[in-house]
Amino acid sequence: MSAILECRELTKSFGGVDAVADLSFTVARGNIHSIIGPNGAGKTTLINLLTGIYTPTAGSILLSDHDTRGLAPYKLAQRGLGRTFQNLQICMNMSAVENVMVGLHLRLNRGFLAALLRLKSVRAGDRDCRARAIELMRFTGLENQIDQHPSEMSYGALKRLEIARALAAEPELLFLDEPAAGLNANETHAIGALIREVAASGVTVVLVEHDMKLVMDVSDDVLVLNYGRKLAQGTPHAIQNDPEVISAYLGGA
Amino acid sequence: MGWLKRIPRPGLIVLALALASAPLIFSNPYQYDVAIHVLTNAMVAVGLNLLMGYAGQISLGHAGFFGLGAYVTAVLSANYGWPVYLSMPAALVVVAVLAFVIARPILRLSGHYLAMATLGLGILISIVLRTEAGITGGPDGMMVPPISIGGTDIYDERYWYALIAILLVATVWLALNLIDSPVGRALRAVHGSETAAEVVGVHTLGYKVLIFVVSAVLAALAGVLTAHYSGFVTPGLANFIYSIEFVTMVVLGGMASTYGALVGAVILTLLPQFLTGVDDLEMMILGAILMVVVIFMPTGLVPTLARLVPGGRR
Amino acid sequence: MFAEFLQYLFSGLTAGSTYALVALGFTIIYNASHIINFAQGEFLMIGGLGSVMLMQYGLPMPLAIVAAIVLAVLAGILIEKLAIERAATNDIVPLIIITIGASLFLRGGAQFFWGKSIHALPAFTGNTPINIAGATILPQSLWVLGIGAVVVCLLAWFFTRTLTGKAMLAVSHNPNAARLVGINPRFILMLSFALAGALGAVAGAVAAPITLTVYDVGVMLGLKGFVAAVLGGLGSPLGAVAGGLLLGIMEAFTAGYISSEYKDAVPFVIVLLVLFFMPSGLFGSRATERV
Ligand SMILES: Nc1ncnc2c1ncn2[C@@H]1O[C@H](COP(=O)(O)OP(=O)(O)OP(=O)(O)O)[C@@H](O)[C@H]1O
Ligand SMILES: [Mg+2]
Repeated sequence: MSAILECRELTKSFGGVDAVADLSFTVARGNIHSIIGPNGAGKTTLINLLTGIYTPTAGSILLSDHDTRGLAPYKLAQRGLGRTFQNLQICMNMSAVENVMVGLHLRLNRGFLAALLRLKSVRAGDRDCRARAIELMRFTGLENQIDQHPSEMSYGALKRLEIARALAAEPELLFLDEPAAGLNANETHAIGALIREVAASGVTVVLVEHDMKLVMDVSDDVLVLNYGRKLAQGTPHAIQNDPEVISAYLGGA
Repeated sequence: MGWLKRIPRPGLIVLALALASAPLIFSNPYQYDVAIHVLTNAMVAVGLNLLMGYAGQISLGHAGFFGLGAYVTAVLSANYGWPVYLSMPAALVVVAVLAFVIARPILRLSGHYLAMATLGLGILISIVLRTEAGITGGPDGMMVPPISIGGTDIYDERYWYALIAILLVATVWLALNLIDSPVGRALRAVHGSETAAEVVGVHTLGYKVLIFVVSAVLAALAGVLTAHYSGFVTPGLANFIYSIEFVTMVVLGGMASTYGALVGAVILTLLPQFLTGVDDLEMMILGAILMVVVIFMPTGLVPTLARLVPGGRR
Repeated sequence: MFAEFLQYLFSGLTAGSTYALVALGFTIIYNASHIINFAQGEFLMIGGLGSVMLMQYGLPMPLAIVAAIVLAVLAGILIEKLAIERAATNDIVPLIIITIGASLFLRGGAQFFWGKSIHALPAFTGNTPINIAGATILPQSLWVLGIGAVVVCLLAWFFTRTLTGKAMLAVSHNPNAARLVGINPRFILMLSFALAGALGAVAGAVAAPITLTVYDVGVMLGLKGFVAAVLGGLGSPLGAVAGGLLLGIMEAFTAGYISSEYKDAVPFVIVLLVLFFMPSGLFGSRATERV
């Protein structure tokens, strides 16, 4: 089976500084892949490139062998990409469940005329949509906060809300940018279990995370970045014993 | 209040009843005239609220669309002899096309740059209307033929009131439907976080363009009706200050509240009536209202009051 | 031919330096707070119309101008203290609306207290045109250009050489870091409104003998100043000056060579074109939100 994602010599520079430099790697379908690296290594930039938020300075990105050049983020979402954000992107003008319902956008009747006239299909679709969103909030452990306003929710809950919203779009490939940042040990453990469950449902997960215990626990494969470049890629076991990684990153930390 | 929940859109029914019974207290044509003004302003405000309140995109140029709509139907019917039932939709189409063409580059902008661009667009429209005297009559404006049905011209304010009231109720109904749909949710998500909306598949620019065109057409509709009702148009219709007044209606009534937009339009249109004698104070009071509302009631009148009523939300 | 060209250039530069000063006012406040102050044009009105009115109350011109500038500074401080500071929001739309409200309030106040008629401030040093290579220039235009240049130099000195000026720049670059080193952003914000008020009033007073002045003179001048600031790229003082001069010159040449009726349209056509093709202005840097 071919790789779900492949990067070839990917580069992104900001005013002469390469945040991602000449990076080539592949992500095999259906596993949990982690990307680690010190602060500023280019992990978030990489996700922004892959999801179309940034355009690469050079190099190419293949999604199931199709070049994604020039595709806007919403087009990539239609092709099965989903993500969460390191800096939370919650719609503060909507309730928690409505945030998740936005994630179901692609699954609904989005016709303008149908919406104007509030056709039966729109009404029925919206009812199902809400039910599905509630189901996802249950799955992510937010069953008690369905109609809450995001400003009343904890940071950890909002991180889960982002995951629920991303899952609502039923992605094939899901990027999680530091889902455990700012969480305590219990919450981190629960997120780990959630990630496993998501992966078990057939979603390929790419996890960016600083919590090494979490990374080593859940990952099938780890990519190490340093200064935008690939330092190593391999199984958690191999990475933990890679002398270069140890000296550049793990050892120093 | 439980029984209220079972009626679809109780607010809309209240609105329709209020509009239908308002003539009971009107005793002269002037009062109808003021009421018609309220209704056309409300139409613009409801549309602008879709753009500003829900989708979060500011426009400081909607009077431009109002004035352009009024002038297109005026010019087509007065200068080119088009029947009104053709010139009116033609005006809406012209404004829709202009709004659509301009929306793509404009709505890539955000914040102050968007404010600047919409403001510039509105002012350009008003300058063109004022300057192209050969077509528009210049600063003095031009006469507009009335609507005629079966050969009789309609001048009676009561007919106009009925027509515009019906159109406004329809507008509100459609606006409420739109907001309560996946399209409406996508629009609100664009407001909340454009990035988040994009990555779940919402074509944010497309939705912004859509709602910009919708709100421009509603402004144009109000302009078209005003032109034929009053029988006269001047470039002043497209004035920057009216763009600001429309924004004020939305902000005062409550951003992201359709009924709020209505309330804002009522208050702001009636305000000068209460200031007769001290007309010169109108601008100061308008300014003070804007500041006070944003500072002390940032969500606007209707949402603020709704929060005081248990169970009320919209 | 050349005389005509020169003539347009003169009038363009004169108008342009007024726009530049207005644009600088926008820039200073924008840098301190990322707010666009739609009342900037009203500072101009206070400078011009205020001077005229104070002279009618019996003050000699220099004193009247100084008093009008003080009035504009007060207006700026009051807007900041009573409105901006109280609005607990960083959202752009409400802040735009507050400053629009302030501008209506000031304009309405001027209309109420000073009336609706158009006034001219007497020229500072007479009205005898000066002949330069076949073109003429009013002495007042020289005042406008000269004072514009002096103000720009003073501002440059203030921002690069004084502690307060440097603090203001620091706040615009990194508000949090500035707070950490003990700079009070509230004070800086107030100062920026005061400074913008003074700048606007100076521009309004020196230009008033040429442009005439009336309660709503600030609407167009303010908008054009905003256009100039956007042209130069919001936040760039150099861009504001360049944008202002460029705008004035283009306007004058359009009026001279193409159509005087569409002179007022020039700024808005230009700004739309620039925004379409360079969404952050000529000299602005594109700031993207990090996610
Ligand atoms: N929009 C941008 N403009 C300019 N520079 C940027 C931008 N985004 C990222 N950078 C720079 O690129 C480099 C990589 O940043 P990035 O956020 O990708 O790192 P990261 O690996 O996600 O770090 P962290 O672990 O802290 O989240 C940094 O030096 C950062 O300053
Ligand atoms: Mg990161």
